[in-house]
Formats: sequence, structure tokens, C-alpha cells
Amino acid sequence: MDWLIFGVLSLWLLISVGGAVLVKNPIHSILFFLSAVLATAGLFLALGAELLAGLQIIIYAVAIVVFYVLVITTIPWEKVKRFEGVYKKELIFGVPLLLLVFAMIAYGIYRGKLHDPAIMKADSVRDLGKTLFTSYLFPFEVASVILLVAMIGAILLGRKEE
Amino acid sequence: MSEFTLSLIITLVKIAVVLGVAMGLGAYLTWFERKLAGHIQARLGPTVVGPFGLLQPLADGIKLLTKEPIIPRGADVPVYYLAIVLALAPAILLFSVIPFGPGFTLLGREIKPIIADVNIALLVVFAMGSLAVYGTIFSGWASNSKYAFIGSLRKAAVIIAYEVVLGFAVLGVVLLAGTLSTTGIVQAQIDKGVWFVFYQPVAFILFLFCMLAESGRVPFDIQEAEAELVTGYNVEYGGMKFGIFPLAEWYLNVMALSAIAVVLFFGGWSGPPILGPLSPYFWFLAKMFGLVFFVIWLHWTLPRFQAKDVTEVAWKIMLPLALVNIIFTAVVVYMRGG
Repeated sequence: MDWLIFGVLSLWLLISVGGAVLVKNPIHSILFFLSAVLATAGLFLALGAELLAGLQIIIYAVAIVVFYVLVITTIPWEKVKRFEGVYKKELIFGVPLLLLVFAMIAYGIYRGKLHDPAIMKADSVRDLGKTLFTSYLFPFEVASVILLVAMIGAILLGRKEE
Repeated sequence: MSEFTLSLIITLVKIAVVLGVAMGLGAYLTWFERKLAGHIQARLGPTVVGPFGLLQPLADGIKLLTKEPIIPRGADVPVYYLAIVLALAPAILLFSVIPFGPGFTLLGREIKPIIADVNIALLVVFAMGSLAVYGTIFSGWASNSKYAFIGSLRKAAVIIAYEVVLGFAVLGVVLLAGTLSTTGIVQAQIDKGVWFVFYQPVAFILFLFCMLAESGRVPFDIQEAEAELVTGYNVEYGGMKFGIFPLAEWYLNVMALSAIAVVLFFGGWSGPPILGPLSPYFWFLAKMFGLVFFVIWLHWTLPRFQAKDVTEVAWKIMLPLALVNIIFTAVVVYMRGG
């Protein structure tokens, strides 16, 4: 049964990712991206990582994609850069690099313990919270400061003041 | 029959029951709201179709279904249709994590009256509540109309602001219960013998405001604003395509969020056993429809805020209040060794 769920979800994911890259209308592209994010959340759920699935939907599908959508829908359409053909040169360099990275990640996962379902935790919410606020407290806080700095910078750049 | 097939069938039956009840009640809430609004404003409400106008929702449904479909020129047709799905699906999915009663045994099997008893149930609630923003934005954008687009942007701003407040308001309850699962939260209230609304009154009021804002109810209904924006984002939709939006937003969302409020603050299905084995369901539905009634009552009583005030109230007053509430709760829970 597992392989069927995995197959459906990964097919959905592949179609969405393909669509996001290939369609010309930016709104359709962002919709395919949204669909890809939801498919990934489904994959996480199928693998038993419920917290990750929930965060994937809340943070990516909603918080991040919604701002892309707001920006894209309010852009004046006359000024948008039009489709100018497939980027052939970039494709020639890109595809081998992509395959190489894929092979490396696949090797890493195959050799490592990531694919081992025996180490799965029952209460992932509690465990994650504990780890985040004890062993990884400092990196966690540093990351939040970096995000805050980025936000203030964006506001400063975006303001029109003399 | 294998274990898997059996649990699949049970889940499908649960989904069919919840979906049927939710959609049926959603349709009949239109009748209830019009009747109530009529009496609040010293009118009679619907009286013509059937006794007390009880067949009015059916008549409305037939009218909406038989209308001529019109799609505005320059509309993005796939996105125009997709927006309807994006508006309806999150509202329905909210019902999947609502526990309507305690688990019971049927033919030697333990059955829980909840579709998905996951340990991230509250995260699902937040996620679905915020996913609803896409239905609004895309319906406004795809219909290629300025009024619809202004309405959808207003609504997007409101949802983003209030979703943040909602998340922080609910955290107090999560701290007290020690779990994100909806059944777990109800169980914690039954074990402690007290409804969390008494421990978390501030959180409840914030939750109520967020509920009103997310479901587009007065006084936070600036995205609808019938008089100024002719109901905003869904103005270019007609027939049943239009009917879906109020159904999802005004009725399904209000019902689902009321049920979540009952789970979080009013002890879920707990109550004296006055109806034997059916009393948990009675209490749950009674509390839930008490809240739904309150929301509809407000809708026909209060005027609405200005557009800029709605988001300002959220960011400048409610969010700080919610943060203070969490810090206070966390300190108290820590002191008492929770």
C-alpha cells in the first residue's frame, strides 16, 4: 500500500514541479509551485513526519508563497519580462550539475541512516521542541536575528524617503 | 477483510457523515441567518416557501444551479474555477480534526468520532485557515475586475494579520494541555475538571475576534463591505459558483472555527449525561451552535470597522496582548511544575 501512496504523491510532485518550470504565465507557475509544496507535505505525512508536514504547509504553502502571490498579482503586467525562449546554454551546464548533485544526495541517503524507519520518534512535536530549545538554542536564535536584520533591510530599501 | 480495508471503510463512512451534516447544516444556516436577521430588524424573514420558509434553502439552491453561467471577459478561466475549489476545500478540511465525542466500541472495534486524530491537529487548523487566503486572492485576480481585486487584497491582508494572532492566542491553551491534538486538549480539560476559557479568557476573546475576521463576519468584514465593494472578491461570480463562497466562508468556516473554539475553550463534548450515550454529541453541538448563533447575532447588530483599523487592531493591539498572555501562561505553568 505504501508504494501506491508514495507513487501517487511523487507523480503529483513531479508534474507540479515540471509545470512550475514550464508554464509561461507567472500566476500559473506559482500555482504549480503551491501544488508542489502541498505534494511535499503529503510525502512527509506518508513518511510519518507529521510535524514537518504541518510546518511545510504553514510556512511554505502559506507564509512564503502568499507573499509571492501578492507581489505577482499586484505587478503592472506591461512591465513584466516576457518569455524569451529556452535558455539552451544554461541547460547544457545545468543538467549535468543537477544529475551530479542528485547522485551525491542519493548516495548520502543510501549510505546514511536517514532511510531507516526504526529510528523514527513517536512524539515528534515534543522532541523537536526540546532539541530546538536546548542543544540548538544558539543557532536557532542567531537564525532569527539574521531574519530580523534581513527584514529591517528590506523595509529600509523599500521605503521611498529623501 | 483485512485491517487496512476495514479502517479505510470506517474512515470513508466518517467522512461521508461529517461532509453530509456539514453541507446540510451549512445550507440551513442561510435560512436560520435570514430568519434571525429578520427578527432582529423587526421583519419576518423568509415565509413564502414551505412552512416558516423552511424550504427556502432548497429554492435558493435550485435558483443558483439553474442560472446562466457568465464568465467575465479577460478572466483567467482555469484559475477562475480553481479559486472556487481553493475557497471550499480548506473550509471542509477543517472538519477533519474536530472530535465530536469520546471514542466508543462498535462490534469489538474502538471507533473515535473524529476523521483524523493526528498529533498535529491544531497545526492543521492553522494551515487550513491560512490556505483559505488563496481562494480569495485568486478569485479576485482571475475575474479581471478592479472591485474584486481590491476586495481580495483587503481580505488577504486581514487573513495574514489575524492568522498570526490566532496562532499566538491558541498557544496558551496548548501550554496548559501539553499537546497539539484536539482529542488530547478535550481530555486534558475533562481530567482537570475545568474549561480552559476560565484559565485563558484573553486568549478566548482574541480567538473570537480572529474567527470573525477569518470568516468575514461583522465587525471585521471589511473585505466584504457590501455597500462599498459590492461584496468584494466574489463579485464576478454567478450562480452556484457564487454560492460556494458564502457557503464556505460564512457558514462552513464559522461552524468549523466554532467547533475548534469549543474544543479549545469549552471542554469539547464534556457535560452532564442527560441523554445517555448521546449526551456528548448533544453537548458538543449545543456549545458549537451557541457560538455560531453569537457570531450571526453580532453580524446583524454591529457596524464595521474602517479598512485601516482592522489590520492595525490586529498588529498593534491584539498581537502584543497575545504575546503577553503566552508569556504569563508559560511562567505560571512553569512555576506550578507543568
